Amino acid sequence: MAAFLAYPELRHPFEAKPIHAEGSTSVLYQGRQITLTETGSGTDSNQSLLINSEDLKRINGFELKPEGACYADMCIPLTNKLQVTQEGKQWFDLTAFADLLEQPYVFDAESNVWSFSEIPAKRDNMMVNGLAPDFEIPDRQGNVIRMTDLKGKKALIVTWSSW
Amino acid sequence: MPVWQQVYEEINDPDFVILCVAEDTGGEAVAGPIFDAANATYIQIVDTNHIISSAFNFVNVPSAAWVDEEGRIVRIDEGTYAKVHELRDETRSITFGNDVYTPALRDWVEKGSNSEYVQSIETVTGNIRALSFEQQKADAAFRLANLFRDHGLTEKAEHYWNLTQTLNPESINFFRQNLTLSEEGSAGETFMTRRGEYESQKKDYYRPLDMDS
Repeated sequence: MAAFLAYPELRHPFEAKPIHAEGSTSVLYQGRQITLTETGSGTDSNQSLLINSEDLKRINGFELKPEGACYADMCIPLTNKLQVTQEGKQWFDLTAFADLLEQPYVFDAESNVWSFSEIPAKRDNMMVNGLAPDFEIPDRQGNVIRMTDLKGKKALIVTWSSW
Repeated sequence: MPVWQQVYEEINDPDFVILCVAEDTGGEAVAGPIFDAANATYIQIVDTNHIISSAFNFVNVPSAAWVDEEGRIVRIDEGTYAKVHELRDETRSITFGNDVYTPALRDWVEKGSNSEYVQSIETVTGNIRALSFEQQKADAAFRLANLFRDHGLTEKAEHYWNLTQTLNPESINFFRQNLTLSEEGSAGETFMTRRGEYESQKKDYYRPLDMDS
């Protein structure tokens, strides 16, 4: 059954093109690419990603409030590890936040792209209470499908592949 | 996915939906025509980044979750075939699937929480795979690889696809998506060797279907 379901021509079908404008940084999260024009790198050079706190929400949905960085009913208290001041400018340390939440990430320094896995705390409701996890993904017609939109219906969520 | 379309039409309940999620790395070019040929009317998603699969901690296809009206998972992570399938070419044939899953699904849609196929919260949470930090990190590496592929950066894509498999060697999804993009394909010698390891070590290739057949 040689070459059964083989698509070697699709391995690298694309022409080289820039990931983002020169000098930008990209964050990958939940299948989205968020491009940031202004970031800092911390004192340990390439090991930290410092962002403007206004950018936090469009990255992972968390918002800074007096009680902390909050998402739904979860608030993470802000410490001076998360809020960093450099030369008078205040940053939010996204990598320190990820470390605190045990959220894995991978960084490619050459292209300046940080890729983040899901935040484990966002999944506690599934792991502990058996509630379906939130997700947001476009269907083939371009409609955004969210788990919460399916409330009131029974759903079979089935993955497949031509593999 | 003509078989799921048939099931969807047979069940024909306005309060029942199917989300059919294709994980093909070939994306729309590969999965789109298959959906179209099935005249699919359920929700069709092409998910090259395996967003849905990682949301539910699936490691193989086909896998599924049943989610009720309140958003509770009532079954999860089973080898999800709608019928018995047979694939053949000149030299061999492979049979897989079962004929109990679809009747069970229909029973649940009709009876809801009174269906004998609805599992307890304890059973459901016990059936959700626990992934290590490294395994979760594989998702980040995989999406980075896909970004590089989309931008024509071949060597970087290869590097991070390899890292993905190093971080999560248990994922058959990551293993096979990569094989599909090779000359030997997804069911060549490399796959058969891996599959043989599962059999010789008596490991489950899918979580066994917990239904009487």
